[in-house]
Amino acid sequence: MLSCIIVLNAMTRREFLAFLAAGTAVARVSHAQESSGMASRGVKPQPRGKPSGLPFHARFTDVAASAGLRTPVIYGPPDRMDYILESMGCGVAFLDYDNDGWLDIFLLSGTRREGPVEGASNRLYKNNRDGTFTDMTAKAGLLRQGWACGVTVGDYNNDGRDDIFITGWPQNILYRNNGDGTFTDVTAAAGLLHSGNRWGTGCTWVDYDRDGRLDLFVSNYLVFDFEKIPPTGKDPRCNFKGVPVNCGPRGLVPERPMLYHNNGDGTFTDVSAHSGIGAVTPGFGLTAVAADLDGDGWQDIYVACDSTPSLLFHNRGDGTFVEQGMQSGLAVNEDGNEQAGMGIAIGDFDLDGRLDVLKTHFSEDTAALYRNAGRLFDDVTLRSGLGVETRYVSWGNGINDLDNDGLPDLFWVTGSTFPEVERKHPEFPHKTPRVLFRNLGGGRFEELLDAAGPAITEAHASRGVAFGDFDNDGDLDILIMNINEPPSLLRNDVSGGAHWLKVKLVGTRSNASAIGAVVTAVYGGRRQAQAVMASSGYISSGDRRLHFGLGEASTADLEIAWPSGAREQVKGVQSDQLVTVKEGTGVVDRKRFSS
Amino acid sequence: MIRTLASLLLIAAGICWAQTQQPSVEAHLGRGTQLMQDRLFEAAATEFEQALTANPTDPRAHFQFAACLLALGRNDEARSQFEQVRKLAGESRYVTYYLGRLDLLSNDYASAIKRLGSVADDPPAPDTAFYLGVANISSGDVPTGIKWLERAAKLLPRDYRVHYRLARAYTSAGRDQDADREFTLYTQFRDAHKTTEKDARDCTAALQTGPPAAAREVCHRVFDPNDPEKLTLLGQLFGDAGAFEDALDPLKRAVQLDPKSFEAWHNLGLTYFRLQRYAEARARLETAVNLRPEFYGSVVLLGATLYMLGDDAAALPVLEHAHRLNPADAQTADVLGKLRAGRQKK
Repeated sequence: MLSCIIVLNAMTRREFLAFLAAGTAVARVSHAQESSGMASRGVKPQPRGKPSGLPFHARFTDVAASAGLRTPVIYGPPDRMDYILESMGCGVAFLDYDNDGWLDIFLLSGTRREGPVEGASNRLYKNNRDGTFTDMTAKAGLLRQGWACGVTVGDYNNDGRDDIFITGWPQNILYRNNGDGTFTDVTAAAGLLHSGNRWGTGCTWVDYDRDGRLDLFVSNYLVFDFEKIPPTGKDPRCNFKGVPVNCGPRGLVPERPMLYHNNGDGTFTDVSAHSGIGAVTPGFGLTAVAADLDGDGWQDIYVACDSTPSLLFHNRGDGTFVEQGMQSGLAVNEDGNEQAGMGIAIGDFDLDGRLDVLKTHFSEDTAALYRNAGRLFDDVTLRSGLGVETRYVSWGNGINDLDNDGLPDLFWVTGSTFPEVERKHPEFPHKTPRVLFRNLGGGRFEELLDAAGPAITEAHASRGVAFGDFDNDGDLDILIMNINEPPSLLRNDVSGGAHWLKVKLVGTRSNASAIGAVVTAVYGGRRQAQAVMASSGYISSGDRRLHFGLGEASTADLEIAWPSGAREQVKGVQSDQLVTVKEGTGVVDRKRFSS
Repeated sequence: MIRTLASLLLIAAGICWAQTQQPSVEAHLGRGTQLMQDRLFEAAATEFEQALTANPTDPRAHFQFAACLLALGRNDEARSQFEQVRKLAGESRYVTYYLGRLDLLSNDYASAIKRLGSVADDPPAPDTAFYLGVANISSGDVPTGIKWLERAAKLLPRDYRVHYRLARAYTSAGRDQDADREFTLYTQFRDAHKTTEKDARDCTAALQTGPPAAAREVCHRVFDPNDPEKLTLLGQLFGDAGAFEDALDPLKRAVQLDPKSFEAWHNLGLTYFRLQRYAEARARLETAVNLRPEFYGSVVLLGATLYMLGDDAAALPVLEHAHRLNPADAQTADVLGKLRAGRQKK
């Protein structure tokens, strides 16, 4: 009997030991081992409340194909992203390069490491004023294949024509508009060529010293070299949910931003050091926007940084800046965590006459909505209702009144940076839908999943976004870059009869593009500020004609703060028209669109 | 945060509630607690729901389900479950604390201040003062918010969130020098946190790919002789890689520095167990089980240790408890059957 027990126990103990060795877990402490990629915080979405049931009068349809935008935007291999350079995509722009009053389109493009791809190029499309566009790239002298990234549009030489600056790897480019439908690459002559490889991402024209000439700010992402950064699968630290993915930005070397002063003779001087811009601790800079965020009459610069604290350069008014992201509240979220800053939108969502900020981030995190409280910004993401959406990697964005009800809505595009992941984790798809939050008033938003037309629910791997009224029908349409697909052109068809007003500014003492001006429209008891910007969304550039939805109001008063420091008022402007205001002169033109 | 949550669950489990439970309730609670420990909140919620199906009036199940729902962001449901706890078990400062946090999340600052303020003198969690400070600041009462955040900074001196909020509050109040000091502390602790994350990743990679000596050198960057949490993390990293001898020293130091750290005791016991030093494992696992009697992983490991030591009489009740916590564990059931049969034959 005894021997029987011993044998039984010996067998059982060994079996039991084997079982335990295989199955017993350690008790884990709270230091999460994040993958070495972008900042993703594992945030759980907030519960969706009961739908408001209110009608939304904007409906979006993707008309890119019928408009003639059929050429895919090449950016890396079609089915994988081995390097972070291939995953970040590029921006888009609405511009009026021929000054005919109709928005044209400029699309950036990438290439493939293996070699040039036939037909891949940045592309300029002229608006035919009938809902279609014609590819003018070759005629305009803009054919170019490479790793283009960001774009900013503005009249840097004050000749009345939109010029184009694009960032990219390994070199940025300045195109001067010749006024005859062509452009000239003047990068070298302007003194903007840089030595070595640099990955320029965000860029914006900005008259930081109020001399009436547009200076240039460029954010740089990181030091990139195909030969020195391991591709997907070569570094075990580069994984997402256990799936090998491209490396970065964490673990790679960040770069400082740069500021170039416009000398007024077609050349620029690098003033990064003198201005204090170059003194900042480098971060992984992406979208850069310039606006007078604190209302002191001087242009500040805000840079969304990916997985490092975002940067707010406060303009001291003496040609120098001081970085105040942390103090202002715009560097990190309300818990002090940096996020994967991608896109920036500036607008006045709570109608208090101050410019607020929306910044987009990685999946398993929320976008961040910052309310401008004067000198400081409050992170109001959760209390505004944005916490319900954490599913997607989010990019180009806007704070725009899409349904003309007088309340600016929130929109952003999405798309994964890791196409490899969805094979193992279908809950992280590569192509994902657009996100639209309608403004309910009172600082609250409601996500519209399928109430704004088929183009919102369509899935793409999107990046840059520009807002503008390409068909001049009194609402805001949306241009979107999709990786390795043709772009999307979301035509907005607004119903319901709400009123609107567009304002175009022409600077005289200020730069001709009036970039940096802030217009406050007062209508129906509401007061909404908008800034004229040269960069927005994700490394993109939108329509500089400001669009105000007015709801039921049929007139609006305008208060204009020009970048020169001058202030003007225009009272009782009738709705449903585009008014052009010239600095010091007042309204010089009125156009009614047929909507 | 997770440790705080887990500790609260344990403390709450110790509230004098009904002792006569169906075995299935115990099992679901045990599994759910373990899943929460592993941050698998959806799966944990399912376990707690099943516990409530088995016994809808068990306040422990409502409490744990509520805490889990809060972690999942299902705030309205969490509130409803906490209210159920209150109905079934009466007022509890733990429930008040959580309801205060839910008030804060729903922007009801007045209620958050009232609730969190009522438990602030005997706080159920170390971050009570933090949330109370945030509630006051959000309601516009910056001076009171600063007072509570200053208290939170004393209670949680390494929590960068606290220093960030305090710095922002000082900035709002125009106290720029104080703000600068807090921003510096915030940066210091945030950087330290990030450095630890990076060092841990590097350590894991080195243990997976590099020679042991080189890996030890890389992993030594995680070593901080005065930080029990980092020491426990280092032990965990070594343990994950099977380097149990290397795991011992940091874990021994961790339990010295923080004798209430369940994670440190459990992992130290597990490490001794893996090294087949069962007598040393026993004492550590007994401490872990005392700290967390409902944590299946520790209970079953203690039972196994006793069993390996040949102390079947001591092993039997421990394994029976483990089996109650996880009846689906066939191996434990098998061993239990054999142990019981052996005792009958004697």
